[in-house]
Amino acid sequence: MASPSTPAEAAAAPVVATTSTAGRRPLSERIAGLVFVAPGVVWLAIFFLAPLAIILVVSLGSRDAANHITLAHPSLDNYLRATRPEYLPAFANSLRYAGITTVLSILIGYPIAYWISRYGGSRKVLLLILVMLPFWTSYLIRTYAWMIILRDNGVLNSVLLTTGLISDPIPILNSDFAVILGMTYGFLPFAILPMYVSIDRLDGHLVEAARDLFASGRGAFLHVTLPLTMPGIVAAALLTFIPAIGDYVTPDLLGGAQTTTIAKIIQVLFTSGRDWPYGSALGFLLMVVTLGGTLLALRTLRREVIG
Amino acid sequence: MTGRPGDPTDAIIERELERYLVERRMTRRQLLEAVTALGAAVALAPIVAACQNAGLASSAAPSTEASVAPPSTAPSEVAVASATPEPTPVPSPEKELFVYNWDQYIGEDTVSKFQDQTGIQVHYDKFPDADTQMTKLRSDGKGGGYDVSYPASTELPSLISDGVVLKLDKSLIPNVANLRPEWANPAYDPGNAYSVPNYWWTTGFAWDPKKVPGNLTTWDALFDPASHGHIGMLDDQREVFAVAGFKLGLDPNTTDEAQLDQMLNLLEQQKPLLRKYTDDDIGDMTSGNLWISHAWSGDWYQMIADKPNIKYVIPTTGAVRGNDTMVVLSGAPHPIAAQTWINFNLDPQISAGNTNYIGYMGPNAAAEQYIDDAIKGDPRLNPPQAVIDKLVELIFLPPTDLDKYTQRWNALRA
Repeated sequence: MASPSTPAEAAAAPVVATTSTAGRRPLSERIAGLVFVAPGVVWLAIFFLAPLAIILVVSLGSRDAANHITLAHPSLDNYLRATRPEYLPAFANSLRYAGITTVLSILIGYPIAYWISRYGGSRKVLLLILVMLPFWTSYLIRTYAWMIILRDNGVLNSVLLTTGLISDPIPILNSDFAVILGMTYGFLPFAILPMYVSIDRLDGHLVEAARDLFASGRGAFLHVTLPLTMPGIVAAALLTFIPAIGDYVTPDLLGGAQTTTIAKIIQVLFTSGRDWPYGSALGFLLMVVTLGGTLLALRTLRREVIG
Repeated sequence: MTGRPGDPTDAIIERELERYLVERRMTRRQLLEAVTALGAAVALAPIVAACQNAGLASSAAPSTEASVAPPSTAPSEVAVASATPEPTPVPSPEKELFVYNWDQYIGEDTVSKFQDQTGIQVHYDKFPDADTQMTKLRSDGKGGGYDVSYPASTELPSLISDGVVLKLDKSLIPNVANLRPEWANPAYDPGNAYSVPNYWWTTGFAWDPKKVPGNLTTWDALFDPASHGHIGMLDDQREVFAVAGFKLGLDPNTTDEAQLDQMLNLLEQQKPLLRKYTDDDIGDMTSGNLWISHAWSGDWYQMIADKPNIKYVIPTTGAVRGNDTMVVLSGAPHPIAAQTWINFNLDPQISAGNTNYIGYMGPNAAAEQYIDDAIKGDPRLNPPQAVIDKLVELIFLPPTDLDKYTQRWNALRA
């Protein structure tokens, strides 16, 4: 039932893969393991698998004249409709935002994680707490804060106007830039933490050995540090990309008329479109596509780790 | 060189935390120095200013409502109400009533007057948005335990066909005679069999005359490249297609595929000019993101609390009229008290009191004489008959027809 296919498990997998190399254990130990894992399995079954099954069933249904969902004629029609080319621009937007956000989060996050691990010294925990500090406030409120900063009479435009750099407010909110800024801001901690773990685990002696063998600083980083911390980078990419591709709040609040994502299209189908079967099919399809990409990335990761 | 692979993580964290606590004093000082060095004072001034703006915007709603209802009218109203008893409501054997309505959507003393006059105890619950309302009313298919609620007229056909609302007994609601003739037979509920209209509004557009000069009267203003990047349309598919319909001279309720394609084509030309399909026209107009926006009349009324110079127009080429209703739910524990409540709210003075408090016009002809001149005299809130005649209601569409809109709306948005 719980094959390693849920996003939660997929995200946890890189960490598990490196630590547990389980052989055959005694029966009593295995039973004890089952007892410990049972609450988690039940939890996932009720709050993850059951809703997923409902979405799947609804996606095969249709609506009668009174707009009630009926399963009288189950079919794949909704999936055929979901592959309409007119939604491709929105899907492309989702992919683009998630991709750019992931790359930026890693490019910005890796040096931060590296610095905390190597030079954080006695303040490592404080620095990690600072990375996670934004989570103490609701993401919605932090996104509204960005709206206050970016809008035409907001903080940023006020500063630029008072310093005389611009004479009219520049429209920053409701643009690609605002969406990518907001998403990168939101997902950065998810990228920093796994990369930090991976960099911090790296045995410094290996880098020293590389230097002893006349590798340059750059060479040691490229040929020792980077490959050995690749699992952390892949984990960071997954933890950023998967939620980013389905992100609805950030593009909706910080985006504008030209930044519609696939999540918004699905939301329209469920609300004003009153077409739950179609919305379910589109949502399920998005999940399958994301899952496929995740599994592919995980396979690559395993090859990297195990060789 | 902490954190070798074998180290128990807990021990590391404990050790680090200890060091952190010991060194905290120093860290705080360093932080302060860093902030000072950045020139905090200069950086903070615009932040403070912006936050104050935000505070004003969010407090707009209550202040508007307060200004609409001058305190002087309230006492005289009470006096009149007690002096001339309306057609006595049928004595209700029920002593309780459960009402489910928007926040700030009724006269301040309507509930207390009702309780005084009828002896019925009112339990008044509020919902934040229409989706919450519909979810709750449909949770058990018969109203979620409430007696009375206030759905938008567009919800009525499905609420009736799904059996969520109760057919009204007009002998309990003699005050329906106060309704204007044009409200006697609305398309969403012929003969007002299941509902009574409550408030009504228009969908026009609002603009900042400092940014967009001129006396704007037609929908063309929302298609003007001069406002490029600062035009907003409502994030509402039916309303947006209706605008295209008015501009093209087509029926905003059309289900003809060719006509809908024409509308879509026009909207696709407009899209590059838009800043946003907005679900916060109030915030976007008052923050300056939008210079001109497709807007509901009630939202404009809240905008001017923050930015009094913002204008609003009901375009001469036609516009949408919307309204909400009062209904009795099919599972109502107190159906007679519920209809007594509806009758009470159709009382001329009570109805006018509601309008004077929130600024929306009601459909009550007899109430007109008691409505404040500030509302009654404003053609944007109380348009003349010639304008009303051009207003169009968006009718409820069955799934197959609604799909034609949804598909094009999503194609437009994507």
